[in-house]
Amino acid sequence: MLVLKALGASAPNTVLSFMKKGAFAVAPAVDQIRHTHLPAPSPTEKRPYSPFQDASNMAEYAVARLDDLLNWGRKGSMWPMTFGLACCAVEMMHFAAPRYDMDRYGVVFRASPRQSDVMIVAGTLTNKMAPALRKVYDQMPDPRWVISMGSCANGGGYYHYSYSVVRGCDRIVPVDIYVPGCPPTAEALLYGVLQLQKKVKRMKTTQIWYRK
Amino acid sequence: MSLMKYLALDKVANFFNIIRLNGGIRGSLYKLYRQDEIKDGVLIGEDKFGNKYYENPRYFYGRNRWVEYADQYYLNYDASQVPAEWYGWLHYKTDLPPHQDPSRPKYKWMAEFTENLSGTTGQYTPYSTTRPKIEPWVPKKAGQ
Repeated sequence: MLVLKALGASAPNTVLSFMKKGAFAVAPAVDQIRHTHLPAPSPTEKRPYSPFQDASNMAEYAVARLDDLLNWGRKGSMWPMTFGLACCAVEMMHFAAPRYDMDRYGVVFRASPRQSDVMIVAGTLTNKMAPALRKVYDQMPDPRWVISMGSCANGGGYYHYSYSVVRGCDRIVPVDIYVPGCPPTAEALLYGVLQLQKKVKRMKTTQIWYRK
Repeated sequence: MSLMKYLALDKVANFFNIIRLNGGIRGSLYKLYRQDEIKDGVLIGEDKFGNKYYENPRYFYGRNRWVEYADQYYLNYDASQVPAEWYGWLHYKTDLPPHQDPSRPKYKWMAEFTENLSGTTGQYTPYSTTRPKIEPWVPKKAGQ
């Protein structure tokens, strides 16, 4: 009986786990993914540059191309905040150094939140630092993105049970990309930035404006 | 040391060889547009997705093995499209490419390789299989 009650209380979670095992056909969480995500690409089909390929009339086509242009500009010059909190910042510096050379992706550190697009939360976010982080985030102009770098920023990591640490920076700011690792290599951060570029590429700024 | 090398003319020969190997001027320009780099190398192998793997020891260690992603990916290539069997060769874990290495284990429970599907419907979604330790509080409505 208790087990049944617990099952009822955690309906979305357990339904999803049943879904994974094939007991149910549709679950709310999976349905939501279906609406907000692109269809999974097949490794054999040709992949065009633009993710917006289903325009039904001229206006939609024009708006989609405008979005492509906008996204191309945005993903080609993403300037992160210089914001290092702990040892992950050292790997972030390696990412800036000649071997991984973030400059070739147009990623240049900008020491001012008002002129930067991305914030890389590199390291442990402590309770003391949290209001400062939020203030810096609030000063960034839209559109803005956040990369959470390392276990500590993702979910507290090693300091999860500490009295003075925020258990994941997604409690303070909305996070786009989580880079796992303790600390993640510069290569992993580079991959995270490339994943963010991929995400920026499917932003529908003007298409949503047109829909409204 | 040949006279060519003494006068550094082998660099010029290399340049023309690279252009020739990458499919002439048009082909080279297309490759520069697509992967920002044109190199000359020996084709070591091709995986099942059509990615081609090259090697040229003239380039320094770290840049002497590289992958040219299959044509269908166009500009949407990604390091996770290199399958697991080629990963070791590309990252200098082994010198033997998969088709020349007889010692690689192959079991029927090994999963099919997929690229990173984050952001698509094929992405991994975490789920819990254990009973939750906490129950959310459902407050009683005023009328009851």
